[in-house]
Amino acid sequence: MSQVYTSPTPIGKKVLCIEDEHFISELYVRALTKAGYEVTVEVDGQRALDLAKTDAFDVILLDLMVPTITGTEILRRMRDTSETPHLHAKVIITTNLEQRDDIRANIESQADGYLVKAEITPRELVDFLSTIK
Amino acid sequence: MDHLQKFVAQLQNRVAILLMINSLTIIGGYWLIAAYVGPNLHFKNQQIATAIILVFIAFLSIILLAWFASTYLTKPVRLIWQAVLHISPSTANYPAPDTKHVGFGQELVTALITHVYQMASVVDEVERTAKTRKHDLRSDFVANSLPMPVAVLDKDTNVLFANDALLQTVGRTAQDTFGQNVYLILDLLFSNEDTFDTWLDDARRDKVTDTKTWERVRLNLPEQNGTHYYDLVAYYNKNNPDGFEIMMVLFDRTRQYSQDEQAMSFVALAVHELRTPLTLLRGYIDVFEEELEGKLDEEMTGFMHKMKAAAQQLAAFTTNVLNVARFENDQLVLKLHEEKLEPLLLMAVNNMRLRANVRGIKLTLNVDPGLPTVGADTVSVSEVVNNLIDNAIKYSKDSKEIIIHSYLTKDGLVETTVQDFGAGIPETAMSNLFNKFYRDYHNRSQVGGTGMGLFLSKAIIDAHDGNIWVRSKEGQGSTFGFTLKPYAQLADEIKKGDNADVTRTAHGWIKNHSLYRR
Repeated sequence: MSQVYTSPTPIGKKVLCIEDEHFISELYVRALTKAGYEVTVEVDGQRALDLAKTDAFDVILLDLMVPTITGTEILRRMRDTSETPHLHAKVIITTNLEQRDDIRANIESQADGYLVKAEITPRELVDFLSTIK
Repeated sequence: MDHLQKFVAQLQNRVAILLMINSLTIIGGYWLIAAYVGPNLHFKNQQIATAIILVFIAFLSIILLAWFASTYLTKPVRLIWQAVLHISPSTANYPAPDTKHVGFGQELVTALITHVYQMASVVDEVERTAKTRKHDLRSDFVANSLPMPVAVLDKDTNVLFANDALLQTVGRTAQDTFGQNVYLILDLLFSNEDTFDTWLDDARRDKVTDTKTWERVRLNLPEQNGTHYYDLVAYYNKNNPDGFEIMMVLFDRTRQYSQDEQAMSFVALAVHELRTPLTLLRGYIDVFEEELEGKLDEEMTGFMHKMKAAAQQLAAFTTNVLNVARFENDQLVLKLHEEKLEPLLLMAVNNMRLRANVRGIKLTLNVDPGLPTVGADTVSVSEVVNNLIDNAIKYSKDSKEIIIHSYLTKDGLVETTVQDFGAGIPETAMSNLFNKFYRDYHNRSQVGGTGMGLFLSKAIIDAHDGNIWVRSKEGQGSTFGFTLKPYAQLADEIKKGDNADVTRTAHGWIKNHSLYRR
């Protein structure tokens, strides 16, 4: 089940972190809550999509390789206005998976950011989020 | 049948009449000779003379009658023959037969000639349809013998013809394919915005005929498992008299492309496996750095930075591995945009600063003012700069400075150099430097690295229509340089050049350059 981490110094922004590697989400939660974000972590694709549909989040960090539904499918269904109208969240792809350029371009065109996790540190992720707001 | 009976009766009548005339002629002749000619002749033998004259008269009358009778009696046959000649292509200049002036058997002749004409028109029709039918059969045969799927579409992109290979591929019968819209039959996915649709719109708008090829088109087949890749060739003809507006031919490349994909996915998988622990390492280093700031002595702080730099280097290396694999599979596509070089260089240099600093090396960046914007793929050019600086760090030995300099050349190109003052490169090694995995044997034992960086850098700069070079003196250091074209120049060339290589997208344009085509 999803787990919610509140910030000791809240800035009123909510992040949904869809990530099945616990150690990575742990690091992101630490950096994000420190920066004032409330973070919800979900490892399961289907449950993550259900959560995203509630439109309770400002930022969605989306790993492409998660169980039950792939990140690509979650992204497609979040962008499908008949299924999820008016999602206000910014969707940032966070992945270590490499795609063919055309597939990546297609994913990138639907997302608000595309980050390779190995190439950024948690603090750099926080910096990145502050730039897209 | 009545005509024939009547004809035979008429023929009998006429033959009888003619025979009677002949007999009468002979009898008449005999009588004339006996009564008038004979007594006036003064032959010794009156009997023989009379006989000779009689035979002569009989002979003459038979010849005359035979000629007249044959001409008269065969007229119906001649008329029929004339009709046959009239309709035969080789003797078509014969006049049509005149059936009004035939002495007898008019009904039969008219009926026969009518039949001849009817048969001729039937034969003609049969021949004509046979000819077209044979043609259709032949084209069907050719199209159906082709192992690749072929479809012919009309102006509404409905399928007019689809060969056996296509029907087999999509698992449909001819009945539920012909007349259907092609988009219902073939679910094609293109790798970029340059699709069959957009091409057809363009072709219809301003072309009479056009041909286009797409590589790596994905065909979705819901009934079958797996992904199928094709190269697609389409031909457009606005004025085809048969309404054949478009022809599509698909070449199955599934095996080839999926092999690439598998090879690629092995590297991608390996890189993914490397990247996960790397993400964690860099994450924990981040935490330690943050938490331990100010609590560590100078030596420990140095170790911390070295650890961070090493993790960074490993991350860059995995990206390099991936890009070489992409390059080798023709999958590295660069998107060239108009870019300012200075921020790009500043970012790349800052990215390398830690790695230089932990070795006590100072990076100096000098960018000449007023440089024009360049056409560049920022991620790739940053990789080139990173690789050149990484190289310079590795071969710096005891020297402590690396200078990065950007300026405008005499030829109006934007050149960037990375200069170190370290080991330098022996002349024998210079020509092989940009080859794959080449490393100078002198330095192999002393410096780590695979030589992948320069190979990849050259590929990237080549793809930018730029030039990469090296100048070095052993013991005094090396200078690596690369040129980029000002954006204005590149844009002009692309506007002039063949549009087939350029695709406009929402983000700018993609050039399918040598990196992609190999």
